[in-house]
Amino acid sequence: MPKIITLKIAGTEIKADEGSTILDVARTNDIFIPTLCSFKGLSNVGACRLCMVEVRGVPRLLPACATTIVEGMDVTVDSPKVGKYRKMIVELLLAERNHICAACVSNGHCELQALAQRLGVHHTRYPYRYPRLKVDASHVRFNYDPNRCVLCTRCMRACEEVEGARTWNVMGRGINSVMVTDLHQPWGESPSCTSCSKCVHVCPTGALSEKGCAVGEMVPRENVFTYLKSMRYSGR
Amino acid sequence: MNWTPVFAGVTKSQGLSKDEKEREKGPKMLAPDNTPLPNEIINDIIARHPDKTGDVLSVLEEIQQAHPLKYLPRETLDYVACRMGVSRSQVLSVATFYSFFNLAPQGRHTVTVCRGTACHTRGSKQLLDALKASAGFHEDDEAGSATSFTTPDFGMTIRTVACFGQCALAPVAAIDHEIYGHVSDFKLKKLVSAIDKGTAS
Amino acid sequence: MRIHDLDGLHDIRRTGLMKLLPGKPRIGVGMGTCGMGNGAREVFQALERELERQGVDAQLTPVGCFGFCAAEPLVNVHIPGLPLAVLGEVKPDDAAAIVQAIALRQPPLEKAICKIEEWDHLTGHVMYGRGLPELPHWNEIPFFKGQKKIVLRNCGLINPEDIEEYIAVGGYHAFYQATQKPNVTEIIEEVKKSKLRGRGGAGYPTGVKWDLLSKTVADQKYIICNADEGDPGAYMNRNEIESDPHMLIEGMLIGAFATGASEGIVYLRAEYPLAVQRLKRAVAEAREFGLIGDNVLGTSFCFDIKLVEGAGAFVCGEETAMIESLEGRAGRPRPRPPFPAQKGLWGKPTNINNVETWCNVPVIVARGGAWFSEIGTAQSTGTKVFSLVGKIRNTGLVELPLGTPLKNVIYDIGQGSPGGKRVKALQSGGPSGGCIPADNFDVTIDYESLAQIGAIMGSGGMVVMDEDNCMVDVARYFVEFTHSESCGKCIPCRAGLDQALRILKKITGGQAEESDIQDLEELGQMIKEMSLCGLGQTAPNPVLTTLRYFRHEYEEHLRARRCRAGVCEDLFLSPCENSCPLHMRIPQFLELTKEGRIADAAEMIWLDNPLPGSTGRICQHPCESQCRRKTVDAPLNMREVHRFISDQVFGGPLLDEVRTRLAGRRMAATGKKIAIVGAGPSGLAAGFYLALLGHDVTIHEAREEAGGMLRYSLPQYRLPKDMLSKELEIIAGLGVTFRFGQKLGAGVSLDVLEAENDAVFLATGTWKAARAGITGEESPSVWHAIHFLEQVARGEPTQIGQKVVVIGGGNAAVDSARTALRLGCEVTIAYRRERQEMPAIAEEVTDAEAEGVRLQFLVAPQRVVTDKRGRVTGIELMRTKLGDYTLDGRRRPMSTSEKIVVPCDNIILAIGERPDAEPLRRFGIHVRENDTAAADWVTYETNRPRVFAGGDLVTGASNVSSTMATGKAAARAIDHILTGQDRLPALLGTFDVAQAVPPEPEGGARNVSEEMPAAQRRANFAEVMRGLTQAQAAAESGRCLRCDVRETCSAKE
Repeated sequence: MPKIITLKIAGTEIKADEGSTILDVARTNDIFIPTLCSFKGLSNVGACRLCMVEVRGVPRLLPACATTIVEGMDVTVDSPKVGKYRKMIVELLLAERNHICAACVSNGHCELQALAQRLGVHHTRYPYRYPRLKVDASHVRFNYDPNRCVLCTRCMRACEEVEGARTWNVMGRGINSVMVTDLHQPWGESPSCTSCSKCVHVCPTGALSEKGCAVGEMVPRENVFTYLKSMRYSGR
Repeated sequence: MNWTPVFAGVTKSQGLSKDEKEREKGPKMLAPDNTPLPNEIINDIIARHPDKTGDVLSVLEEIQQAHPLKYLPRETLDYVACRMGVSRSQVLSVATFYSFFNLAPQGRHTVTVCRGTACHTRGSKQLLDALKASAGFHEDDEAGSATSFTTPDFGMTIRTVACFGQCALAPVAAIDHEIYGHVSDFKLKKLVSAIDKGTAS
Repeated sequence: MRIHDLDGLHDIRRTGLMKLLPGKPRIGVGMGTCGMGNGAREVFQALERELERQGVDAQLTPVGCFGFCAAEPLVNVHIPGLPLAVLGEVKPDDAAAIVQAIALRQPPLEKAICKIEEWDHLTGHVMYGRGLPELPHWNEIPFFKGQKKIVLRNCGLINPEDIEEYIAVGGYHAFYQATQKPNVTEIIEEVKKSKLRGRGGAGYPTGVKWDLLSKTVADQKYIICNADEGDPGAYMNRNEIESDPHMLIEGMLIGAFATGASEGIVYLRAEYPLAVQRLKRAVAEAREFGLIGDNVLGTSFCFDIKLVEGAGAFVCGEETAMIESLEGRAGRPRPRPPFPAQKGLWGKPTNINNVETWCNVPVIVARGGAWFSEIGTAQSTGTKVFSLVGKIRNTGLVELPLGTPLKNVIYDIGQGSPGGKRVKALQSGGPSGGCIPADNFDVTIDYESLAQIGAIMGSGGMVVMDEDNCMVDVARYFVEFTHSESCGKCIPCRAGLDQALRILKKITGGQAEESDIQDLEELGQMIKEMSLCGLGQTAPNPVLTTLRYFRHEYEEHLRARRCRAGVCEDLFLSPCENSCPLHMRIPQFLELTKEGRIADAAEMIWLDNPLPGSTGRICQHPCESQCRRKTVDAPLNMREVHRFISDQVFGGPLLDEVRTRLAGRRMAATGKKIAIVGAGPSGLAAGFYLALLGHDVTIHEAREEAGGMLRYSLPQYRLPKDMLSKELEIIAGLGVTFRFGQKLGAGVSLDVLEAENDAVFLATGTWKAARAGITGEESPSVWHAIHFLEQVARGEPTQIGQKVVVIGGGNAAVDSARTALRLGCEVTIAYRRERQEMPAIAEEVTDAEAEGVRLQFLVAPQRVVTDKRGRVTGIELMRTKLGDYTLDGRRRPMSTSEKIVVPCDNIILAIGERPDAEPLRRFGIHVRENDTAAADWVTYETNRPRVFAGGDLVTGASNVSSTMATGKAAARAIDHILTGQDRLPALLGTFDVAQAVPPEPEGGARNVSEEMPAAQRRANFAEVMRGLTQAQAAAESGRCLRCDVRETCSAKE
């Protein structure tokens, strides 16, 4: 039996199991903390930094996804400072690649879009970079449009941690990072891909989609993944 | 029950056959000698790294050094991935993450200009620009992120390094790993034209 | 070879000592990478040959680096019984003399810089010998004074490739001691007691980290040495490994023994091939001697060290990224927790420490934690090695007790900037650190103090910047670096730095808007607080600190589109043009002169500078200090070329042509009226441009003629007044009206001027002499330089005596002295500092001396000595000596008790002037504490709209070009406000000038103007400098390297 810990998140007193993260507890209790990289069932990478929260007595901001709860913790999930920073991050993402919702298969089902709406990001103060990355439509069932990618690496983790195929990884570094399959070869020619579609269904944006979807038609089927996840948990 | 991945890593036959297909598509590099290293050499290098820590990096470093054009051809990456049981995407990720690795053939001579802070304060940017200009590379903002420039005839590659740690000699440049301190653009151009002539004769 | 016990260790120690003190001369050549880059290998070979040739029996051995990089290659020579002599800047050619001296059992003193009589290796002690009184002790010369060598205890004295020499100085004894402790916690306690903190930058207590690891139970633990020294500008770790690899191994052995780790990994940069090679060799040696491997020193302790070469990723210095890298992946940091002490390499408990941290450990064990904690401050104990590089005379590795004031490092150890330029800032801690402005150099170097001012200690890189470094460019440089080294995992660092870099490029490219600075600051704060790892969290520091301390530089780029340091290329034509206050198109008028197009050249220089004849004679020529030609031979004599052009104009038919051309440039009349108060260079410049821009200009002048200081202060022998009058005629000819005898506040009222004109420009100069504050100053025989010079200029009799003492070191002092000399006096200049610190133009000082002016340095005036009748008979001077450095990088003149009296009849005080602020105050214009007018530094507009102020009135006493520049800038702003357009650039126009860079530097040596011989000139006021001849001017112009032409080399393709 794990120890029960009492803490305060967004002013609400909550009891939760020892070892959980702030994000776990917040989700269970329907307290909204924005994230893009975290995905239940996949390891935490702490990459998007949207889940940064303030904890009383700690001078720094802490990532809710990687910070385990402590007795008596008092977490503020959306202080004005954090709110401002989150908006900046979303704006940076929107400016980084081409996120044109009106022409996107995931319009209406996109986590980035939803987040921008929820955080009140109407425009971005930063100029668009327009990187013009090549779309990979070589796979028979899926499309990969790196211009929509936010580099959350969910696809890579799903592929490695759940499917075990290790097809996806990040090529390059810094602003030039890009998700690639195998040796940066066309996805359709990937020797390791099992076409399991997990990457497609964990993708928060329209970067990975099923072929044949028109604008707004790509709806991620999380249940496909939930099934495999439950298999995984029963296994340990 | 222990959950195991459906496909652990890459099966070798699949990988190689795919790659052979790739090769048939024709040459990707226009290098004078773009053949990958013979597998025996790669095998030897891998065999020298029996323990796991740091091996992928070390193996790739040694293979690149062994290649006459100081780079990692795609075939080599594929082979290393298969041999070492590491996924292709991981090998590619490593090879593109570290600035030491080259995925394109390098020139016969390498001129490296140090872009460390001490060198910068003593004018290494002007040094690099002058060198690039004299080798025929135009100042181009988009290419500003590129860290190496190879002349079309593969005579020379101009690279930068974050810091040689030779800050007391700033500004510093290296020609084929020989360090030259307190260089001016005149001095560097002279040194470079000297190696140019050296290869011509 | 295997050592099993203490006896074994002692045996080796004896053998090693025989190598260190072989009973015959021993020559050690510093063979670190920087030594070799300076030719140490050639020196070693030359010594080898000479020993052989001369048949001298001596031991020649490579040693590490002693740290004094500016004096490389370093060679040390020990002759039994005598101190070790350290020789600097040894060339292969010196080998013969060195060996010859050694053959005679005499140390070669010629190149010797210091001596070492005995050396405390801290783990051992070596007595070299006493004597050689003519040489200073090593810690008496500036570079080493105040240093304390703990980490560098052996560097440069032992052979890094010989384990026996390391053991000879007590190496591996601390490790042996550690293995004999009944309980390993004692070792950890000792480290805790030492309060040693991580030397990689973060400063986390090492003992606490070890404790965590030792308490974690696991089947396998790792310790890692972080030698991925990626900070550009830092190279101490390279040197530590190259010069003394065994101290690192011993430190890691002790750490492993204390924490129960069985495997150690050194993650070393591949860019350090020599360090890799030496460490590999050292590890092999240690293994051979049974210090690494199974059952070390006969105990049950097993430990091995593996070396992994990094492949060029700065982020791998971050511990979790390093672990990822060691596991064969791209070095992208992991979130913490879990911390490496819980789950590190391959999921096992791991401890990572920096090279230098490990290197301190053997000393702490040998001497005790208490001993160590007494060095440094209470919070930051011990020493830290810094690499002192950049614009500093004494570059090198400096090891200092923490808590040392920064200014000691910069000015005492480093001896300031090499070109005598002003040190502006220190960049500490590399891309993660910040820029510390010179005003803050009294800060002490320790973790807390540096963090407080926004910088960090970091790994210890100290890059000194002087006035030729642009701080915006420095920020851009570091962000470019972190941007290219960002792993790309977290968004703030990846996309945030990209946008920050874009803004910085906009600023350095002269395209930024006011809002950009705020965006940049906000981005910086966000990246700092939101990023995943240390790289991102610290990457904005260079930006945030430069914004904090050098905001004016950002604003200068932004508002004036100007990079004063001459770094941001998009903002200037050439370095000389950029340094010229008037921004004369120097390379272009040189090219025109070279081609013989004198009329075009004349038109251009007049457009750029309305008083070319005057400035051509008396300008301070800052252009020369920026001239790239000086890297080849000597800077161009640009001032003399432009004087030549103006002389050509005044001396012949070209004058009419220039007048016609200038009149032809005059723009259509605007109907706007502008009043200028003051006909000095600033007012004249403003009047010239405003007239050409089509405005109706009237200049009101208090005196009876125009020219200001040029006429009433500059002596005739430097600036002939008939030439000045010709220049003024040209200005008057463009339609400028002069009204003389109109003094502001007396004849002219600002209210009236304001009402009757569309704009007013005030340039009334600095005509009030500063007081020295000494007794007797009021005596009629004590003159102020400006009054004296004015009287002479007006041709009035001066009743000056036989002997004159001039107090001061500026141009006014030298002018007064040379003028008094011409009036037949015997003249002495008394200055409180030394010659090189005199603000006067150096050539003028030389000329004055040649004419017979006596110069007396390091004296300060105390009292005017008078006789009973109140007549001046002399001046009492206090001898000064130069004390410690003040924050401006100059040494403070300190009073001594020694006083001297110099007999004289007159004293001329040339210690500065200030403006008469009274009329301004009365008109409600804001005036600063020093009586100068407060005006915007770009437009020169005062707090009263459409009232502008410039010249010395705003800047304080300066020089002719700077003061004209303010008039030019104000004219541009006035025109802009009155017409709504920025029209000055169009007025200046463009000239068709050949755009070709000479492939090789052309022309011969620098051409100088012929001077009237000193003996002839001291009796009259005839002009001293005769100017360049036509042939000289053409040749001098041809020497230009044409830095203004940027894109030509690609044509070679």
